[in-house]
Amino acid sequence: MTTTRELWENALTDIELSLPKAAFSTWFRDTHIVRVEDGVVYVGVPSQFVRDWFASKYHKLILGSLRQLSEGVRSVEYIISKHPKKNAEEVRAPIAAGELPLETVHVQTNLNPRYLFESFIVGPFNELAHAAAQAVVKKPGIAYNPLFIYGETGLGKTHLIQAIGNHFRAKAPERKVFYTTSEKFYLEYVSAMQGGRIPAFKEKFREYDLLVMDDIQFLSGKSGTQEELFHLFNALFDKNKQLIFSSDQHPNLTQKLMERLKSRFNQGMIVSIMPPDHESRVAIVRSKVSARGVVLADEVLDYIATAVEGNVRELEGAINSLLLSSEMRSESLTLVDAKALLRTAGAPKKAVSVEEVVKLVSDFYGVETHSIYEKTRRKEVVRPRQVIMYVLREDFHISFPTIGEKLGGRDHTTVIHSCDKIKGNMKVDSVLSQELQQIRMMLK
Amino acid sequence: MKFESTAEQLHSAASLASRFTNKQANLPVLSSILIAAEGGSATLRATNLECGVEVSLSAKVSNQGSVCVPTAPLLGFLSNTHSKNVTLELQGQILKLKTDRATASIKTVPHEDFPTLPKVSAEHSFALKAQDIARGLRSTLHCAATSSVKPELQSVCIFGEAGKLYFAATDSFRLSERCVPLTSKGSIRQILLPARNAAELLRIIEGQSGDLEFYYSDNQLSVHADRVYYTSRLVDGSFPNYRQIIPKEFATEAVVLREDLSQALKSLAVFSDKFLQVSLTVDPKRKIVELSSRNQDVGEEDVTLRAAVSGEESKMNFNSRYLGDGLAPISGESVRLRLNGAGKAMVVKDAADDSFVYLAMPMNR
Repeated sequence: MTTTRELWENALTDIELSLPKAAFSTWFRDTHIVRVEDGVVYVGVPSQFVRDWFASKYHKLILGSLRQLSEGVRSVEYIISKHPKKNAEEVRAPIAAGELPLETVHVQTNLNPRYLFESFIVGPFNELAHAAAQAVVKKPGIAYNPLFIYGETGLGKTHLIQAIGNHFRAKAPERKVFYTTSEKFYLEYVSAMQGGRIPAFKEKFREYDLLVMDDIQFLSGKSGTQEELFHLFNALFDKNKQLIFSSDQHPNLTQKLMERLKSRFNQGMIVSIMPPDHESRVAIVRSKVSARGVVLADEVLDYIATAVEGNVRELEGAINSLLLSSEMRSESLTLVDAKALLRTAGAPKKAVSVEEVVKLVSDFYGVETHSIYEKTRRKEVVRPRQVIMYVLREDFHISFPTIGEKLGGRDHTTVIHSCDKIKGNMKVDSVLSQELQQIRMMLK
Repeated sequence: MKFESTAEQLHSAASLASRFTNKQANLPVLSSILIAAEGGSATLRATNLECGVEVSLSAKVSNQGSVCVPTAPLLGFLSNTHSKNVTLELQGQILKLKTDRATASIKTVPHEDFPTLPKVSAEHSFALKAQDIARGLRSTLHCAATSSVKPELQSVCIFGEAGKLYFAATDSFRLSERCVPLTSKGSIRQILLPARNAAELLRIIEGQSGDLEFYYSDNQLSVHADRVYYTSRLVDGSFPNYRQIIPKEFATEAVVLREDLSQALKSLAVFSDKFLQVSLTVDPKRKIVELSSRNQDVGEEDVTLRAAVSGEESKMNFNSRYLGDGLAPISGESVRLRLNGAGKAMVVKDAADDSFVYLAMPMNR
């Protein structure tokens, strides 16, 4: 998105120089690049007047300046479309007293139409979540209700749950779909409470056939909103209305969340989206790159997938900056280039001290920090200690003897045993693996 | 370029075209009119990039060609001439206008920069009587919103089904819908014509007769009406599903004479406050509709109208102008007022004709 905007801004700067000011401001106002596909730049213009004029009068100028900026541009097409910024400005004013209730029937789903199943890449890391989503789409309200999807940020939770909403809406346009984030829900609840509009608020949410709520973890500690959500949940659930939630952690591990809400979430289906494996990362890189109309060698794709750490969003960011800089140099990207470019783009990893890890993990398990260093073998201390050793070894690559030394002068064989133990247990103990996932997230 | 034409024809064409120019445009061609002479006719074209118009008139062309003239001096000259004929001739960058008494020279603008008017393909079209579309626009235009916050409400919604063309507009305080017969077949999907452009269309077709054929695409609408080609941008958006909010059942219904009510509202407006508030009481026992308005600084007035009333007693306040606007498109002798209690919209209809519906929200001050 950024790169097409920059491309158009640069082109406009160029065009502005060769046109009278009045002509430029009249014709090029509210224009933007809608998309770039196979070397064709689709320029969005506000009306047919402008489209016809561009095609007959300014086509050469526009094409010329776009070509100058990016070699891949073969041709330019003009389509009539609203300016994205203008769209965002259409803020919905609250219904003032004395107005016709047009708003209530003007169904707004809040969904971003960009998120579709078609553009969702399925791999082993998310196939369960995808399958559950498909089942929900086929039998809404019956298959899995509620559907709860959790996973780290940037792995496609929002994409998946919005895709369900979009699919549902396309299939049954008369049904009411609504997407919101838990934070918006909270804010709306608070403002409804202040304005004494709680009944209207309740009514509004109770009439949806499909409610999608993103980022449930933000409700942590907001007991009033949780209570409201609980009642809303029951009301919709009783009418067999489908509910979909997402969070960055398992509901049972979310702090300060009401027990009865947790049990409600557990009632349906809880699936996780794990970070993508290497093959999926390569597939994702390939699809993102080809969506931009660029072809890269397999070794470069492979390198990007390996070298860029972190989630899909970061991967996308790295690809964007890579492609932009390659566009500017206007030659195709080699492995050496990619390495050089990514080295400068990559952010340095945050340094974490052993003490910080110990503090965080012991807090997480609720044990005293000093007990970790002591020679005690109490069960509640042993587990956190082993987890600390495992994390230090796996995530921070500290040597076994150093870990042993730092944690109260233990032998390196003890450390090796602990790491193996946790590694082995993680495969069978889902609670442990969730705990570790969460600890790792907190360490980031 | 050189041609001769009657001053009256040229004046009416130029004054129509001038309404489509943009006086504040920073591009000089947009505040000018393009005049092209070819064959046996001259064409005047103007656009503000929202809507555009092309008017042709018969002319004796000696030299064909085009010229782009600033609107104000052209119109100023034409509206003040009493001569029968006028000759226009381009000499270099100067347009000479000659009548039997006067000559004038106007500096022109390069005509190459004048925009083309969009043509709409004949793929989607509908046809109806000129008077019917005028009636549809006239009945609804005044209800369109003036604020640009919601472009879809700033326009007239037009759609066709079952041999009828529907016009609807609302500013969310009142709403009007008019349906007129179509002469073409098939349904027409919703198109949103900006109200300001619709007003210009209305001006063109008012007084015309016969059928008009409209062409429309996703973004543009066009029509040939006699010697005028009109085209307008369409709003990209969806009109609220307003039919859901037109109530189907009523607690109170009163039928009154339209002329009586309209006169009463005009007179009450004199005494109403700055919100133009009038209070309306429907009394089923005494079979009357009572209207009153009060202004602390001026005085007050009460009007009692005899009415056929059914249902329960009801009392509400309305904006007198909104109510009057709702009566204007009704041509029948009596109107039906339907109410549903405090805070709910009132429906106004012709007692004998279902083709027009008007909805007004009460005031709650």
